[in-house]
Amino acid sequence: MSDLLKSGRLRGSATFLLPALLLCALPFYLDAFWLRIGLFSMAAAIGAVGLSLLSGTAGQLSLGHAFFLAVGAYGYVWLAGEPGPGLPPAVAAVLAVLLAGAAGGLFSPVAGRVKGVYLGVATLALVFLGHHVLLTADSVTGGFNGRSVPPLELGGFTFAETDPELTVLGVPFGAEERLWYLGLALFALTWFTARGVLRGRPGRALAALRDSETAASVMGVPVARYRSSAFVVSSMYAGLAGVLLALSFRRVVPDYFSLLLSVDYLAMIVIGGLGSVAGATVGAVFVTALPLLMTRYADQLPLVATPGSGDGSIGPTEASRYLYGAAIVVILLYAPDGLHGLARRTRARLRRRPPVTGPPGTGPSSGAPSAETDTAGDTATTARAKEHTP
Amino acid sequence: MTGFLDALLNGLALGSVYALIALGFVTIFKASGVLSFTHGSLLLLGGYLVAVLHDDLGFAGALALAVVVTAAVAAALDRLVLQRVGGTDPHAAHVQTIVTIGIDIVLVTDLARRIGGDLLPLGDPWGNSVTDLGPVTVADSRIAAILVSAVAIGGAFALFRYTPWGLSLRAAAEDREAAALMGVRLTRVRTVAWCLAGGLAALAAVFLVAFPAPGLERTTGQIALKAFPAAILGGMASPVGALVGSMLIGLTEAFVAGYQSDLHVLGEGFGDVAPYAVMVLVLLVRPAGLFAAKGAARV
Amino acid sequence: MTRTAAPPALEVRDVTVRFAGLVALDDVSFTVAPGTVHAVIGPNGAGKSTCFNVLSGLYRPAAGTVRLGDTELTRLAPHRIAALGVARTFQNIVTTQGTVADNLMLGRHALSRAGFAASALRLPSAVREQRAHLAKAREIAELTGLGALFDSPVALLSYGDRKRVELARALCLEPRVLLLDEPVAGMNAAERVRMTEVVREIRAELGLSLVLVEHDMGLVMRLADEVTVLDFGKAIAHGTPDEVRRDPEVLRAYLGTDTTGEDAA
Repeated sequence: MSDLLKSGRLRGSATFLLPALLLCALPFYLDAFWLRIGLFSMAAAIGAVGLSLLSGTAGQLSLGHAFFLAVGAYGYVWLAGEPGPGLPPAVAAVLAVLLAGAAGGLFSPVAGRVKGVYLGVATLALVFLGHHVLLTADSVTGGFNGRSVPPLELGGFTFAETDPELTVLGVPFGAEERLWYLGLALFALTWFTARGVLRGRPGRALAALRDSETAASVMGVPVARYRSSAFVVSSMYAGLAGVLLALSFRRVVPDYFSLLLSVDYLAMIVIGGLGSVAGATVGAVFVTALPLLMTRYADQLPLVATPGSGDGSIGPTEASRYLYGAAIVVILLYAPDGLHGLARRTRARLRRRPPVTGPPGTGPSSGAPSAETDTAGDTATTARAKEHTP
Repeated sequence: MTGFLDALLNGLALGSVYALIALGFVTIFKASGVLSFTHGSLLLLGGYLVAVLHDDLGFAGALALAVVVTAAVAAALDRLVLQRVGGTDPHAAHVQTIVTIGIDIVLVTDLARRIGGDLLPLGDPWGNSVTDLGPVTVADSRIAAILVSAVAIGGAFALFRYTPWGLSLRAAAEDREAAALMGVRLTRVRTVAWCLAGGLAALAAVFLVAFPAPGLERTTGQIALKAFPAAILGGMASPVGALVGSMLIGLTEAFVAGYQSDLHVLGEGFGDVAPYAVMVLVLLVRPAGLFAAKGAARV
Repeated sequence: MTRTAAPPALEVRDVTVRFAGLVALDDVSFTVAPGTVHAVIGPNGAGKSTCFNVLSGLYRPAAGTVRLGDTELTRLAPHRIAALGVARTFQNIVTTQGTVADNLMLGRHALSRAGFAASALRLPSAVREQRAHLAKAREIAELTGLGALFDSPVALLSYGDRKRVELARALCLEPRVLLLDEPVAGMNAAERVRMTEVVREIRAELGLSLVLVEHDMGLVMRLADEVTVLDFGKAIAHGTPDEVRRDPEVLRAYLGTDTTGEDAA
């Protein structure tokens, strides 16, 4: 954090510029299939960063992320579409994010007071009740069949196949190419803001209340308020991810926003490494790209059958679920700080430095490689139990 | 009036099945501090075993074997995986809780793949027969659910109360460190807890998919999650609380479904999700559950 | 930002705390005069930690009041008490992951403002604030002898250094009243001497009131202006270290029932 103010900024911009340029160049070389993978990964990364802030940094488990993704996605569709107020899509997108935040705020009496893994159980309610509403509130959500998504429009430029026709350097810019840059911009915004939060005063307060609620409160952190704020912020990132997902899918259906989706996001942040923006991104790419790649290359993979080849065979979706289910278990067994931490430690070992030091700017939330990074919660209960000796 | 009695009996039957699952949650939680998200897949495993074995072993034999195997699988998962996660970390139980989610993904994926899109019959003896009790007609499966659950729950409470294991469990729930110092073997307490929970989940599966439900399907495991609200309402660490919470959840679901036509504002099929609505309402008022020790949620 | 006015008196009056029928503090009263060091001592289980938990708002007493100047503390949440300038350390070290700097910056939470939005957007005000507080945290690190370790991860520090991180973090709140819960417990002789020096310096430089729970009687005798002795939740003696040392009640509490032999010795 201190190096944010020193040399870190220079080195930081160098390490960011290169990947950023690379990502901007990709649409000129990749076909739609790969761009779609990238697009879904970026959307997932935005949502995962939000969840990581809540579960990784603040130690509050949430299985309700799918609900807030749905609020963002459906919020956009309804606000921008017919039936609905038919607002300009850009306005609808912003409002949809705020709507997701407001939904998180409505849940804050629970999110502020129920801690750690218990919140995980409480948020199950959001997914199931939300799914019920999506199915039954036909006039807004379109019911079981869902609704088609109006394309985003910004100052006369539409993020769709045409309108205006666009060819850049000989490459026709269709929906995927256009959305790619939108996704990139939103992801950059997410990266910038989330790291600002994590390395700033709120991030430190959240990490403190994860590590010890008692200590945090004594240091002046209003525990319940910070818990609910983390929940609201995390909901807003989910809402933003929902908007981008809706734009990429071009159709939203209720069954997509099930408990499985919430579990996917949890898998992302655990696999990537809890509490860090980079970790959430890595995990999001892994969990999103794996089934898509496996579907594409099913015929070349051993043990994996092509989709629809009948009951009992292992399809690509199943294969990837086995893999990342097992990945959660294996990672928490052997490398609790996830892929991101693993990479950091390998790099540190290569440089022959003590593993915990880490590269500059890893922030307060990604310090020592231990399971402490994990969702905490009732540390205070234990701490207080010990203080109980009168 | 018959509508009311109908819903009441349905609710009690449902509640007693949820109680089987919720007792498992609570036992595991007391023994290890872990919230078992693996329960859905354990339940599915139990049901699946009965479904594939009942042709050869008969229903009773299949059920007995399913209970034993599911209990063994649960204990093995705890011993071989969960207990190795987190080490001495004070948050180990939380990490283990997340691991149960990972295990659940793998198990559910595998079982769902085997079940596919089918509805598997479990070959239970009560089939779709019904009995007339005064003004109401009740499915025999419901009566069986209530009776068998009552026996199983009674047995579980006897274990809590009268066995050395039950005493160790209470000691462990009170203060794990102190219990270990006084010679309680936490590993064994945990193993037995997971066994009990696994067995109860397998038993519950049979009644969850019995008439009037159509049979075992790949989403059956999700029903186990409804026992979470039940356990949370009871304050997570109290078997009696879990029992009361389960009845509350079962009755809510049955009454909402029974009076569906009067509640159509809430949408069709609201009964299925009503337990979660109840949970949210209760948590709004009492964040630590209905039966939690007073002051537990302070600070 | 810096509190310059003399600290108000901290007044504990008739405080009683019960746990499930057990009386942990029984009608305890004492006053910490502005700018003094007040030690609370007593055998294990006498209620010292409970007393601290009441002062910092973690426990709500069944009866009695705690006042800081004109403000009643007993009804306030811990973070509000912190905001009034009451800081504390913990006997069992409670640090957050990250560096010494991260922990000290956390200590400045109550004095800073930047919220989620300002930090997310890195508004100039938030960046400026962070820079100013970082400078102040570094100053406090220097004062407590942690200057060289400012950017080190806390997990890599020695026990004694981590104890000092606790102290420095509490000081970062710029407290008017500082509660130290066994600041030298578990330290070796050299670390103890160093810690005693640090506490003495703090007192001289910052002019705050100090409340000290400590087993190390040497430290108490050297630092304290006034001592309150607790035994089984009751305050059995008050006075200067010398007075308390000669108090027969105190000797009985510490050394057993038969005090005559001890008196002679």
